[in-house]
Amino acid sequence: MVAPSALKREPLWRIRLRLWTRSLQKNWALFWESRIGPIGLGIILFFVLLMIAHPILMATVWDPRVYDPVVGFDRDLLGRHPAPPSWAHPLGTDPIGRDVLSQLMWSTRSAFALGVTSALITVIIGTVIGAVCAYFGGIVDTIFMRLADLVMLFPFIALLMVLRSVIHLDLWRLALVMGILSGFGGITIILKAQALTVKVKPYIEAAKVAGGSAFHIIRHHIIPNIMPLAFLYMMFNVTGAVFTEAVLSYFGLLDIRMSWGIMIHTAESAGYLGAFSQYWWLWAPPGAAITLLCFAFYLVGRGLDTVVNPRLRKR
Amino acid sequence: MSLLAVHRLTMHYTTKMGEVHAVDAVSFAIEPGEAIGLVGESGCGKTSIALALLRLLPDNARFLGGEVLFEGVDLTRIPEEKMRKIRGRGISMIFQAAMNSLNPVYRVGDQIIEAIQTHLPIGSKEARRRVAELYELVGLAPELMDRYPHEYSGGMKQRAVIAMALACEPKLIIADEPTTALDVIVQDRILRRIDGVRRRLNMAMMYISHDIAVIAEVSQRIGVMYAGCLVECADTLTIFKRPAHPYTTALMSAFPSIKGEKRKLQALPGEPPNLLRPPSGCRFHPRCPYATETCVRQVPDYQEIEPGHFLACWHPQGRGS
Amino acid sequence: MLRYIGWRLAQIIVTFFLFLTVVFFLFQAMPGDYTKQFIMNPKIPPEARQVLAQRLGLTGSVWDQYRNYVRNVFTGNLGFSFQYYPREVWDVIKERLPRTAVLFLVADLLAFALGYPLGKYIAWRRGQISDYVVTVTGVFFYTIFTPLLAIILLFLFSHVLGWFRSGGFLTPTLWLRPPVEPQRVFLLLTATIVGLLGLWAASFLFTRRIGHPRPRAWARRGMVFLALALAVLAWHESGIGRYAWDIVWHMFLPVAAVTLISFGGIMLLMRDSMLEVIREDYITTAKAKGLPDRVVRDKHAARTALLPTITSFTIGLGFIVSGGIVTETMFSWKGMGLTYLEAVLQQDFPLAMGCLTFTGILVLLAHLVVDVLYALLDPRISY
Repeated sequence: MVAPSALKREPLWRIRLRLWTRSLQKNWALFWESRIGPIGLGIILFFVLLMIAHPILMATVWDPRVYDPVVGFDRDLLGRHPAPPSWAHPLGTDPIGRDVLSQLMWSTRSAFALGVTSALITVIIGTVIGAVCAYFGGIVDTIFMRLADLVMLFPFIALLMVLRSVIHLDLWRLALVMGILSGFGGITIILKAQALTVKVKPYIEAAKVAGGSAFHIIRHHIIPNIMPLAFLYMMFNVTGAVFTEAVLSYFGLLDIRMSWGIMIHTAESAGYLGAFSQYWWLWAPPGAAITLLCFAFYLVGRGLDTVVNPRLRKR
Repeated sequence: MSLLAVHRLTMHYTTKMGEVHAVDAVSFAIEPGEAIGLVGESGCGKTSIALALLRLLPDNARFLGGEVLFEGVDLTRIPEEKMRKIRGRGISMIFQAAMNSLNPVYRVGDQIIEAIQTHLPIGSKEARRRVAELYELVGLAPELMDRYPHEYSGGMKQRAVIAMALACEPKLIIADEPTTALDVIVQDRILRRIDGVRRRLNMAMMYISHDIAVIAEVSQRIGVMYAGCLVECADTLTIFKRPAHPYTTALMSAFPSIKGEKRKLQALPGEPPNLLRPPSGCRFHPRCPYATETCVRQVPDYQEIEPGHFLACWHPQGRGS
Repeated sequence: MLRYIGWRLAQIIVTFFLFLTVVFFLFQAMPGDYTKQFIMNPKIPPEARQVLAQRLGLTGSVWDQYRNYVRNVFTGNLGFSFQYYPREVWDVIKERLPRTAVLFLVADLLAFALGYPLGKYIAWRRGQISDYVVTVTGVFFYTIFTPLLAIILLFLFSHVLGWFRSGGFLTPTLWLRPPVEPQRVFLLLTATIVGLLGLWAASFLFTRRIGHPRPRAWARRGMVFLALALAVLAWHESGIGRYAWDIVWHMFLPVAAVTLISFGGIMLLMRDSMLEVIREDYITTAKAKGLPDRVVRDKHAARTALLPTITSFTIGLGFIVSGGIVTETMFSWKGMGLTYLEAVLQQDFPLAMGCLTFTGILVLLAHLVVDVLYALLDPRISY
């Protein structure tokens, strides 16, 4: 306990920092206890390492002319592409002579970029709308909830398939579109429900009585209290984003230069998917990568779930 | 032979922060048809004892010793299958906040019939007749049998839960705070009803409450609990007029008396101890005005100081030490 | 109850209307006036083009076209498909829709049949190894890259073991000169499945008389089993059983794929829901009544936990439909999903719009069915 005289001397930011670190420690302990959360985190870390390793390898061991994920070509194996795994190419080469491992590592970057950006946009939009709807209620609420119903009605991938003819979908635009579309969907309903539980708390009433404006209350009270849940759903959104991009790329509907989905698409359009076991290095590594990354983020999400929702904890 | 004889029951909860010494060497007995009340502050272990008797403790509870003899059979050692047969039939329980004791998706009558048919080989028609009888007993209209819990008021739900506990005519009913969630008038009515039913069916009852006024109304004997220990147990009159334990005395003086002279209410200083690290020796010593070195070093024995009057204290009040 | 359904239907119509509007303007935004596309189709003789253009309301301003479109949809006229000209969109959809419907119906039921009990058991055994293993497995199947799953299934069962066909709807050689149209066989098959389902649902009502729960459950199972046996017998005797079986044979893998994916989701939902319910007081009370553990779990906990699971499941319907597109494509299962993808790729906009519209209708109806089901199952909901 801090002695009363010391209270006057400790600066506010120091106190805040201390409280913050303490709650972080507690939450980390809970996260760790969930067991599955750390597994997911571990897998994500693995992919981050993969992502970091690529430029290092390109700068040191790998000759860019051969190993570039998009324009590389291995002359030595001319006529034998796609070549099976060997020492030079641990995961073999693809139909047009590029190193599969290099592609895999490089695509990690686009997956992360896309996933995180899209999820971030979704969560920001969802949080603001959820908080506003909860606070104001009435017609604002009705409009956005109806909108959410409508958005949820649309099969996501089907919609994107059409949109791609309208908008030239490269990585960032895709992230933006996915982020915005998801942002108005189901997440607003969930976050609004959460915001409602905050809104009825006595301190909101107190803040109003003290003269807080709507903007102030929403920003300083409601939003911070729904952020944990929003952060949680962000994980699930990353899963969805990566998955969607992979599917669309697989069907060749996107304008991205290289991603895991594109890798499989290249294999398929060159006709190598028919004989499954023969050219396994063309579809198994990217397929596994997509699955693993989605899986990892989902696990992290579920791990966070036990932190945010005490009922799901072990005790 | 006593209906229920508990002998040095000890039980801990294992938590992330350590072991919570919830129940410590508690001993008491209940005779057939007797009504005993267990009183104490929140968190003193009363509910834990009740759950321990029925072996309904959560997973992190550890049973550490003692025995629970129900009609001569030690409940702590019998297999789960046998225990199941006793639950609801030999001993049944009414929980705190009985509002939530009823499953919302099934009809109330069906839930009571379920209780009956689990233990007694009775067909549906006969079971329904029994439920109707039970309803009359607790003061509910029999037609309500076919309604859902959300159609009942709080008091009605409480009565339904009582009816459910009575369904198989158990020898002992444990009622954990049966009236806490109700308003005072309904409280009174329910208590009288419970007591009336008990007398009629000659059942034993264990009331658990933090409200001593409630307990006093309906119990023949009272056990006082503090920090997981049973510190005193005697018949109601003795507890009120001649309490021997300092804690009991303090409880009594926290009561205004309508008839007696006006005096200042004395609140007990301090707080109940943290059961993660209970005090050494007598757990009451930090707050006891009469505590001595012995109290700090040694746990007092639980002894019968007069016929029917049990006490765990080094310095009984009004009897010299 | 009827009023409730009526009210929900009204809401659905409004939502559908909005949906339609968005679909229309979405396709309007396509680059290159698609009407020109249509008109440029070499299969259409020049004279007919004008007539068609007028008939389809391809002339006139956007607003006129919109009004026409809406009117047409509500009267069932969805236009002509570019790809399959002169087949009407509605005709194509009529053919493909049942296939998707059956695929998803069967797969979802199986997923529920698997996910519900598993979620139930696993929530009951909190914190033990089996809990983690099953949860992780569920998440795995839920997040697996669908084409990867399809490839693995095809590889394993079709390529290696040779048990199932590698996709498609039927074996061409078998159907060279069939006595019956494949579509007809398929529809009969659908009718059988739906009939069996209806019987299963009805069996709950029929067996209500039986007092005790155990014999009641067996009576239900007995009824369904009997019906199934009769159905198989009927098919066998009818002479076209072979053909029906061929279609069922082809259904195995796509159904397996969709089931695996959905089952993961349902199991996780059920587990989460159960964990919440287990904390409730009425569960402890049920135990205190002396009920066997299994009864407490199944009759009290699971039944109550089912309700939120159903709601959450409905929310995920859009995702499932999207997944359907991928699955159907991988297995060459000619249903709505595959049709939609092809239509989009071939720029057959009327067909694409029609598919999307229909999907919207189906999802909305599914919502309605689920709502009604929920209202029936939860006595707290009054209607």
